[in-house]
Amino acid sequence: MRVGFIGLGAMGRPMAEHLLSGGHRLAVWARRRASAEPLVPAGAVLCGSPSELAATSDVVITIVTLGSDVESVAFGEEGLAAGFAPGSVHVDMSTISPALARALAERYAAQGVAWLDAPVSGGDVAARDAALAIMVGGDVETLERVRPLLSCLGKRIVHVGPAGAGQVAKACNQMVMVATIQACAEAMHLANAHRVDPAAVRAALMGGSAASRVLEVFGGRMVERDFVAGVQARLHHKDFGILLNEAVRLGTPLPVAAQVGQQLNALMASGWGADDTASLLKVLERVRPGDRPVA
Amino acid sequence: MEVGFIGLGLMGRPMALNLMKAGHPVSVWSRRRESMLPLLDAGARECSNAADVAARVEVVISMVADAPDVEQVALGPEGVAEGARPGLVFVDMSTIAPAAAQSIAARLADRGITMLDAPVSGGEVGAINAGLTIMVGGDAAAFEKVEPLFQAMGKTVSLIGDSGAGQVAKACNQILTGVGVAAVAEALNFARKSGVDASKVREALLGGFAYSRILENHGQRMLDRNFNPGFKAWMHQKDLRIVMEEAHRLGLALPSSAATAQMFNAMVGSGLGEDDSVAMLKLLERMSGTED
Repeated sequence: MRVGFIGLGAMGRPMAEHLLSGGHRLAVWARRRASAEPLVPAGAVLCGSPSELAATSDVVITIVTLGSDVESVAFGEEGLAAGFAPGSVHVDMSTISPALARALAERYAAQGVAWLDAPVSGGDVAARDAALAIMVGGDVETLERVRPLLSCLGKRIVHVGPAGAGQVAKACNQMVMVATIQACAEAMHLANAHRVDPAAVRAALMGGSAASRVLEVFGGRMVERDFVAGVQARLHHKDFGILLNEAVRLGTPLPVAAQVGQQLNALMASGWGADDTASLLKVLERVRPGDRPVA
Repeated sequence: MEVGFIGLGLMGRPMALNLMKAGHPVSVWSRRRESMLPLLDAGARECSNAADVAARVEVVISMVADAPDVEQVALGPEGVAEGARPGLVFVDMSTIAPAAAQSIAARLADRGITMLDAPVSGGEVGAINAGLTIMVGGDAAAFEKVEPLFQAMGKTVSLIGDSGAGQVAKACNQILTGVGVAAVAEALNFARKSGVDASKVREALLGGFAYSRILENHGQRMLDRNFNPGFKAWMHQKDLRIVMEEAHRLGLALPSSAATAQMFNAMVGSGLGEDDSVAMLKLLERMSGTED
């Protein structure tokens, strides 16, 4: 299968490398040529535009930051749509709004191109270990066609429903995950306020009902006071903007998510957007600095 | 002053009528002709589109639902910009995002049109009684020119600052009224669930530090179980969406507004969107088992 890849950032880069080592012919394009060049020695072919990439690929995978990025890569000038032959597939693994995913799927359908929204969870660690959770929206048949590719990237690949359903699952994922990070931050903050060792609290909790991957990973970073990304908090902030807007459109109350969104706003205001989301702990400490553990 | 008026809904119609009462000749246009009829009966001049309105007047006022509507009226095909004579002042009295107001103002300025954002508070009653609070952003000279028109529609008229500043003031107003309605509903529901006469609580509180216009007016409507709009819950939901989007953009924590916005989401999602905001009480009753 001829594969194209766009979006060679912290997530995309190791994903592209897994596709190459899985034996797939890989074409790449990047707005900044320099981010694509490191893949050339490993066998990737460099393209001059998304349309050129699409013309030489059966399947194109994208993983970029914003919905507007996906839109311009797909339907902008020299975009993928201009190069795709009928029967090609665009698999977008970015996190965008369900509404935009549905709209793009519809535009592609008019020219006989298939679409999957296939956002991922697991962060750059899972991307490097080819252990991503992949949640897919779109046709089952299309998913089966590209499953060999997705299998190079992740272990858990779930077909959630029609186009947009993958993004709905991702929104749910972000909501549960960041709310849990906030809960962990509050627990660590409470432990510190009592002058109790947060590392011991976390270790105790990991044996009980409050155990979770988030408490393990993000709780661990809070205990170590390691706030370097990880997952850049600005990306979670972006995702909360999307999901809270959708909640307005749907008339769905999300009281906890709305509060977590405010903590993320405060985090951004503190200039920690490029740091890990474990920095939610620092947002709490900023209000009551006396609770910060003695270094 | 020759005035054009676009957007003859619940608010716009009485506002335009008040301009006529003050002696200003008014030209109107509406997509649905029947919304123009009460104005035409009162002597307003009928126009064929927004550009036609703009061609006949010195000031065009718009009072529509949301930013895309304002954009359409101002800059769309057959819009104000296409018909405007040099020096026209475009006054948008709708509630839209400050950033959207600034963007439309900038594009109109490129075509020689001065825009003021002038959203209002006071509801339908304020519109009818010419008792609106009007919060204005934009050029001071344009404000002075238009001020007599504002005085014909409102009681408290303030120039807040540059373009967008009126919408910022309106957003602040919606934070206070939204959170205020929720607080009054919670207090009255608390009294009732505790087995205490909520109307006596309201009366007592009106004499103290918890006094507010909302406790007085909205509180009374809650006690009367009068949920007719007024100001519809879905409109308050829209206004708080604007507030929360700005907070997201600015990196600003608004925890109380965020909680209240979710209550409005729940109202709209559970069929209370067409009721007045005071139906917040019904939502709380459903959540806490105090329904009749």
